[in-house]
Amino acid sequence: MQNISFSYEAIPAIRGLTLHIEEGDRIALLGANGSGKSTLLRILDALYFPSAGTVTFKGDALTEKQLQHDEFSLNFRRRVALVFQNPDVQLFNPTVFDEVAYGPLQLQWSKEDVIRRVQETLQVMSISHLRDRSPYRLSVGEKKRVALASVLVLDPEVLLLDEPTATLDPKSQSQVVDLIQQWKGTAKTVITATHQLEIVEDIADRVFVLEAGAVIAEGSPSEILSNTGLLLRANLIHAHRHSHDGVMHSHPHFHGHSPHDHEH
Amino acid sequence: MSRHSFLEATLQGFTRAVSKALQSEHAAAQPGLLQQLDPRVRVLGIFGLVVSVILCRRIEAIAAILLVAIAIAATSRVSLASLAKRVWLVVLGFSGVIALPALFITPGEALATLPALHLSISVQGVRAAVLLVLRVETAATLTTVLVLATAWTHILKALRSLHLPAEIVIMLAMTHRYVFLLIETANQMFESRKSRTVGTLSGAERRKMTARTAGVLLSKSIELSQEVYLAMLSRGFRGEVRLLADFRLKARDYAGLTAFLFTGGLAVWMGR
Amino acid sequence: MHIPDGYLSPSTCATFYLFAATGWYAALKRVKQLLATRAIPLISVFAAFCFVVMMFNVPLPGGTTGHAVGVGIAAIVLGPWGSILAISIALAIQALFFGDGGITTLGANCFNMAIVGSFTAYAVYRMIAANSKLSSRQRVVAAAIAGYVAINASALVTAVELGIQPMLFHDASGTPLYAPYPLHVAIPAMMIGHLTFAGLAEAVISAGMVSYLQRAELSLLRGVSGLAQAPGAMIASASAEDSPRRLSPGRLWWAVACLMLFTPLGILAAGTAWGEWSSADWMNPHTREQIGTASGNHAPPSSVPAGIEKLSTVWTAPFPGYAPRFVKSPGFGYLLSAMFGVGFIVLASLLARLAARKWPGRNSGS
Repeated sequence: MQNISFSYEAIPAIRGLTLHIEEGDRIALLGANGSGKSTLLRILDALYFPSAGTVTFKGDALTEKQLQHDEFSLNFRRRVALVFQNPDVQLFNPTVFDEVAYGPLQLQWSKEDVIRRVQETLQVMSISHLRDRSPYRLSVGEKKRVALASVLVLDPEVLLLDEPTATLDPKSQSQVVDLIQQWKGTAKTVITATHQLEIVEDIADRVFVLEAGAVIAEGSPSEILSNTGLLLRANLIHAHRHSHDGVMHSHPHFHGHSPHDHEH
Repeated sequence: MSRHSFLEATLQGFTRAVSKALQSEHAAAQPGLLQQLDPRVRVLGIFGLVVSVILCRRIEAIAAILLVAIAIAATSRVSLASLAKRVWLVVLGFSGVIALPALFITPGEALATLPALHLSISVQGVRAAVLLVLRVETAATLTTVLVLATAWTHILKALRSLHLPAEIVIMLAMTHRYVFLLIETANQMFESRKSRTVGTLSGAERRKMTARTAGVLLSKSIELSQEVYLAMLSRGFRGEVRLLADFRLKARDYAGLTAFLFTGGLAVWMGR
Repeated sequence: MHIPDGYLSPSTCATFYLFAATGWYAALKRVKQLLATRAIPLISVFAAFCFVVMMFNVPLPGGTTGHAVGVGIAAIVLGPWGSILAISIALAIQALFFGDGGITTLGANCFNMAIVGSFTAYAVYRMIAANSKLSSRQRVVAAAIAGYVAINASALVTAVELGIQPMLFHDASGTPLYAPYPLHVAIPAMMIGHLTFAGLAEAVISAGMVSYLQRAELSLLRGVSGLAQAPGAMIASASAEDSPRRLSPGRLWWAVACLMLFTPLGILAAGTAWGEWSSADWMNPHTREQIGTASGNHAPPSSVPAGIEKLSTVWTAPFPGYAPRFVKSPGFGYLLSAMFGVGFIVLASLLARLAARKWPGRNSGS
């Protein structure tokens, strides 16, 4: 996509942004809350349409008009999938089985195909035991897995993940990260929006840093993560006082899985 | 009224609703009589009996259906104690109290007279009161047993295959799904307000707080609905509703349906 | 106000299911026109909201509490059609899933609360709020009154349904078979509770929420058209092209014309309406007999009452008895009178509008 702008109720959420994404890329959109990550993902999923600029997917422009066509729309929705930050929003069917079956049903698969594929997906995500459960009886981790299952059932080419590990306990978090790592080297394009620096290295080969609706940096994970000035500016790390070896000091850092070593 | 009791009452209401739902999920998994039947047969059969209850004109016939209802409950592993607490006492407390004046003010032949109050109880009054309370009890027992023994999603699918429009069924399903989310949100809001209240709030302040909680709930609801809409679009929703229908009738279902219709018909005929 | 199973006869239940079904069908069509594909998530979540609001204990003046239905705020935010659907779905969930409220009486309950309630709330709100600013105090007052009136209208209809049961459905010995109280008991009994508690609860919630929304989210008070324009793709549905067919002036005129054609039916009414006797009727022995039997078998006074005699000469109508002297057929006389009457009213309202416009400085809307 090139030079897109998106305004929401007269507040520009995205300004003059240009991104170029190739098939098979694993990308992280890094930014604090309010930086425009979610909005960007929704533009990529043709849910919001930019007020200026163009978005193209494999050569086709994504416009509101284009999405009115049944064939184009069904094709696009199958190939590009978005996992929302709030799983309650995505789990709107009465049971887990119904939820995972929703996508295939909308695409008008045959009944047998739907049932077979849903059962496969539930097994892969280890949630077969939840198939008749209602969403309000699931834990947050279970909800996120169901949400993932509900998009993976269609085997999409592009996965847009909005804060997939936020609010998860460490075990569930690592399960999600493992899943994303599985897709490395495959034809799947994964674009993850997150503010959690500790997972970036595992889930992405390229990083875009967003701040107030604009891309302020682009690079490999190691480049970006070592640029503390940039990270501070984007409000991704903090500099509160803490102690090592009994010495109180303060410097920019983030709380991740690797303890930070530095000289004193 | 203490400053907290209206909050407490509301919070208790929330708890009761959620526990009712859980109780239903539990009972629906039991291997009882009703649970063996196809949900469509259950829905049609119970609805049919409820219609019979209001068609009957004689107390004996309605009482007979009540006994049948209790039998169904017992064989479907629905605890009679919970039925008594959840249905019978509640109905007695509501419709029983409503029916009481009918004993005295219904015109007709006098049955007994209360000398002190110069009130006389008429035969018609007694019959009217008994008819009413019995009808309400029986119908409530039947619907409660159905609801307890059947998973909500099965009730919906039964309604769909009974030709209720797909959009209505989807809306019922989605409403039900989000009721619990909103109860939880409202619960949290009231709990936090409960702990923050220092000193007694005036009546006006209490009203304002309640309305404001409702207002916040509304904003969140509208926002939720907009997000859900985007989620639906993202998964291919284009305005049509497609459901998976997967019920098949077995021999025992036909037998069950026949039994229901026969019982209902018999009661109506005998109670005409 | 929720009527349980057993209070209404089968024919009453069936009749009101029919009324309700008509309302649901019309509401669904209308809502789909207005909201297209957004309808399902919006109405569903709003219904869930109404369900939860129905569980609130609303503190009332005097230290008691009451329960609101939410029909006031639903009609204001969603409009009457969306409100019909949302409240009906909430009631259906109550009955079908929680077992509160009857299933044979669901049609009647939806008619009373969702349909009568929504239209009443909407009409009263629009009437009182008129064209005032969205953030004005007038809207809060309008919401309070709309909620109060709507609940009491629902209660009245409910009371009538219950009150006619003994009269219509009883056995040979006179035992009422369903709700046992006649109208003169049912109506006061129901209205007292609603004029005091339930009506107030609805007023408090409606007004309080409008007040909150004025500060927090003014756009929601713009009505259903605002909701249809939320960000996010819209799928054009087949019927999105037709504009909602409002009650256009043309259709209203057709309705009036049809009504005019029906006026000759008045001839079928035998005798004279009670209390509308002329001095000639008092003297005619045949009509005197009619007056007597129509008045509880009391004999009428032997001469024309003095007041009637005096006033009867004050004004002579141009078309006495709806029969212009030059018209021979009584049916045509009725029709002509109707046309003349309607024409006269139209002329009068045109003159009134002209007069209103001629006075600048009056609030002329917008």
